[in-house]
Amino acid sequence: MDVIVGVADMKVSDDPSVTLVTHSLGSCIGLTVYDPVVKVGGMLHYMLPESQLDSNKARNNPWMFADTGIPILFKSCYKLGAVKGRMIVKVAGGSQVMDSSGVFNIGKRNYAALRKIFWRNNVLIDAEDIGGSVNRTMRLSIATGEVTLKISGQGNKIL
Amino acid sequence: MIDVDVIIKSINKLPPFPDVASRALQILDDPRASVDQVISVIQYDQAVTANVLKLCNSAYYGLRRKVHSLREGLVLLGNAELKSIILASTTVRLFQQENKGYDLAKGELWKHAVATGIISKIISDRVGASEHPSLFTAALLHDIGKVVLNSFVDRYFEQIIALVNEGELSFLEAESKMLGINHAEVGAKTGESWNFPGDIVQAIRLHHSPEEVLDDDPITPIIYLANIITLSMGIGVGRDGLSYRGKQEVLKHYGLKAKDLQEIVVDFYDQYSKVQDILKLS
Repeated sequence: MDVIVGVADMKVSDDPSVTLVTHSLGSCIGLTVYDPVVKVGGMLHYMLPESQLDSNKARNNPWMFADTGIPILFKSCYKLGAVKGRMIVKVAGGSQVMDSSGVFNIGKRNYAALRKIFWRNNVLIDAEDIGGSVNRTMRLSIATGEVTLKISGQGNKIL
Repeated sequence: MIDVDVIIKSINKLPPFPDVASRALQILDDPRASVDQVISVIQYDQAVTANVLKLCNSAYYGLRRKVHSLREGLVLLGNAELKSIILASTTVRLFQQENKGYDLAKGELWKHAVATGIISKIISDRVGASEHPSLFTAALLHDIGKVVLNSFVDRYFEQIIALVNEGELSFLEAESKMLGINHAEVGAKTGESWNFPGDIVQAIRLHHSPEEVLDDDPITPIIYLANIITLSMGIGVGRDGLSYRGKQEVLKHYGLKAKDLQEIVVDFYDQYSKVQDILKLS
């Protein structure tokens, strides 16, 4: 059963019949975490790097920003029995339009924010598909932990 | 390379622009036209009437009271806004179709259109521009050329995307190189054949080339930016992806910075949820 993770949204699950799916990953980042021992997984789709841009919005919807969304994703999985050391972490998205000046690179900023948070918290990325000028759909199977991507103009691949 | 004339001729294969709408638009062009004259034309097209009412009642127009009849709607809105609404109402069905060439599922191109419309308004407010009556509709219609170019892009997609991947061309530039024409130009020609107002035709034609009219076109550069932001967010984006050019000079023109772009994204997220009624038009 596909469970859709919307834009600025997060879902976690321990139901093996569930596949978490998020569409429209342009400059946004899709982050999946999965503990293969207890088969618990989660997916976050955040739009922007830092909550200081609008702290009110961040309170109402912490999944809009990397710095408020990522900690909640991990904690929500811990509540279902996942353990940090066993988590498999995969990242997709962060694309941008063609722009040599770099002003339009929200995607790059989104990815940089994630790296900063992971570096501070000793989290390693197991696989990623980042950047370029493509649009991505990301899927996480709770039964197997497999993450698949549909990439615009390129087709499907396993991450 | 394919003959451009074949593509331009295919514009004629689109359903003709509804007679009711073109007559209503003609009447609205006459400053002496009365509300009754407009109603007498529109009321016989149920789909257009229903869409006009839904748009009048959408959060976008922000009318304080609920509009129950065409007459109320026509009285509350100005002629220019009404023209916009009629145009949007009559073309929505083309945008709602599946588009194989660009790999857009049913409804996706309309989603992209509505998001671009909303962001255009957000940008217009932010830069202190006065609300232009054609802004929202031109933003909705900017990708109409993709409806026509659909089958040609489908047939030549591998060659087009190869040009994008190899030659540092944008998807628009690759369309031009492979097909001899791009979706912006085809869209403008479609608008001309349907007698769209000139400012809307220009916005469609230049929605990826706003630098040509930066100082003297009040809507095209705003629609350009809105489209780039919508693409960046991946909303209604097909297999052409985000392969379009971000032009710093347009941001500079409005004094916008990277942080402004992020704030626009936040504003958009709020407003998008309020216009689900527009997304459901058919």
